[in-house]
Amino acid sequence: MLTIRDLTVTYPSRGQAPITALQNVSLDILKGEIVVALGASGCGKSTLLNTIAGFLPATSGRLELNTHEIKGPGAVRGVVFQKDTLLPWKSVIDNVAIGLVFAGQSRAAARAQAHSLLSLVGLDDFANVAPYELSGGMRQRVGIARALATNPDLLLMDEPFGALDSFTREQMQELLISVWHKTHKTIFLITHSIEEALSLGTRVIVMSPRPGRIVRRYPLDFVKRFSAGESWASIRTDQAFL
Amino acid sequence: MPLYDVIGIKIDPYLNTSQTVSSASAFGLSDGQKTRLISAATIMLFGLAWWALSTYHWVATLFLPSPSDVWEQLLAIVTDGYANATLWDHVGASLVRILSAAAIAFSLAIPIGLSMGLSPWVKGLFDPPIEFYWPLPPLAYLPLMIIWLGIGEASKITLLTLAMFAPICLAAQAGVRGVSEERLHAARSLGANGWQLFWHVILSSALPEILTGTRIAIGVGWGTLVAAELIAATRGIGFMIMSASHFLATDVVFVGIGIIALLVFAFSYSWQKLEVFLVPWKGQE
Repeated sequence: MLTIRDLTVTYPSRGQAPITALQNVSLDILKGEIVVALGASGCGKSTLLNTIAGFLPATSGRLELNTHEIKGPGAVRGVVFQKDTLLPWKSVIDNVAIGLVFAGQSRAAARAQAHSLLSLVGLDDFANVAPYELSGGMRQRVGIARALATNPDLLLMDEPFGALDSFTREQMQELLISVWHKTHKTIFLITHSIEEALSLGTRVIVMSPRPGRIVRRYPLDFVKRFSAGESWASIRTDQAFL
Repeated sequence: MPLYDVIGIKIDPYLNTSQTVSSASAFGLSDGQKTRLISAATIMLFGLAWWALSTYHWVATLFLPSPSDVWEQLLAIVTDGYANATLWDHVGASLVRILSAAAIAFSLAIPIGLSMGLSPWVKGLFDPPIEFYWPLPPLAYLPLMIIWLGIGEASKITLLTLAMFAPICLAAQAGVRGVSEERLHAARSLGANGWQLFWHVILSSALPEILTGTRIAIGVGWGTLVAAELIAATRGIGFMIMSASHFLATDVVFVGIGIIALLVFAFSYSWQKLEVFLVPWKGQE
């Protein structure tokens, strides 16, 4: 579905040689997968996500989603950011509906759809609240609902739970898995937490810095086992997980 | 805890030493209440000093009329007017000038400032003239306004418009430039086109800055207005003050200053209320 071939991204650098953030990265993401990019800061995983999102241009290489070349940002790829990017002058429901309004839908129709997404992330009761009245975890749930509203082919998540406390993070991971289970979305998520990568990924790619590249790829089944009904407690004590 | 509380504990002899630090808000007042109490005391002290200095003739009436003189003068102006015009004529003349200049300045400066923030072309076009004129004191180019536009309303309103234009324009520009990149990225990834990006994201993001700019502009406007009326006018609060000073009618000068202070206070108060109404998210993000 998503095809990346020999992707290289370099940044211009003042007075010095350009910095190579990504070098010859190749990656295929299939429909319904959760691919987690794992690595320390500076390994190029954010650059990879931003390039897939279309925020950064590729210096060389091929980047295609469903055989269409990625040229810029667009609603076929939903993005969930680490930082809260909700619009404070719009209510929660209007924040979720905004992508549909951008696509030309009427406000009423957009809101009706947004309501079903809010119930998907468990925020039915907060539709008319201002975003700044919500906790960090709830805002991030609104962010997920907003990104899903335009029914994107691919959901990109940029350390979505990095700013949350560990208790909330665990809840959010379970929420994400249940959303994935219900919507069968294809997800590309980046994180620096090994545990998060193991909990969420159907496949984990490990990246290494200078220049950024993929050094290891692991297929995983923990998230599928969880979706199939096995409890976290039993998975997290599994020898393979440890 | 503010510093003065800490000091307060140490030097206040009425505070029981057995009291803990947490009960340091002496007399059971919050910080805000304390500030208001102290402000009220300051005002009363000023009033008392004014009354004492003038009533006991420690300062000549010519320099400092007594509060009761000023009050009587105010009542006289309210009933009989001043210089062949009622008080409402004077206040009205000043208000018409400042409001029409504000209307013109807002409707020009906000779109121009926003476009300057959005487009390097527009910025290149307007930057040199604005950067050239806005640090100049308006009174320096007032003579030009009079030579070009005469001593009527046109010259005053143009002067005020110019004085108010720059702060609003610069604020609108800064507002656009201050929109966070993540917010723009988020909107783009949700499929926003250029116009939608402007309408749904940039305009509201810039609104707090624009409101601050307009508030500053109105303050600048009042300062400029009085100065303009001092030089060429037959109506207006500034004119009233200037004319009274020619006759050494210090009490009328006091009345004029009091009225300006009241108007400016009313403006800035209602602007604050407007800000709370229009940008309830300010400071909450």
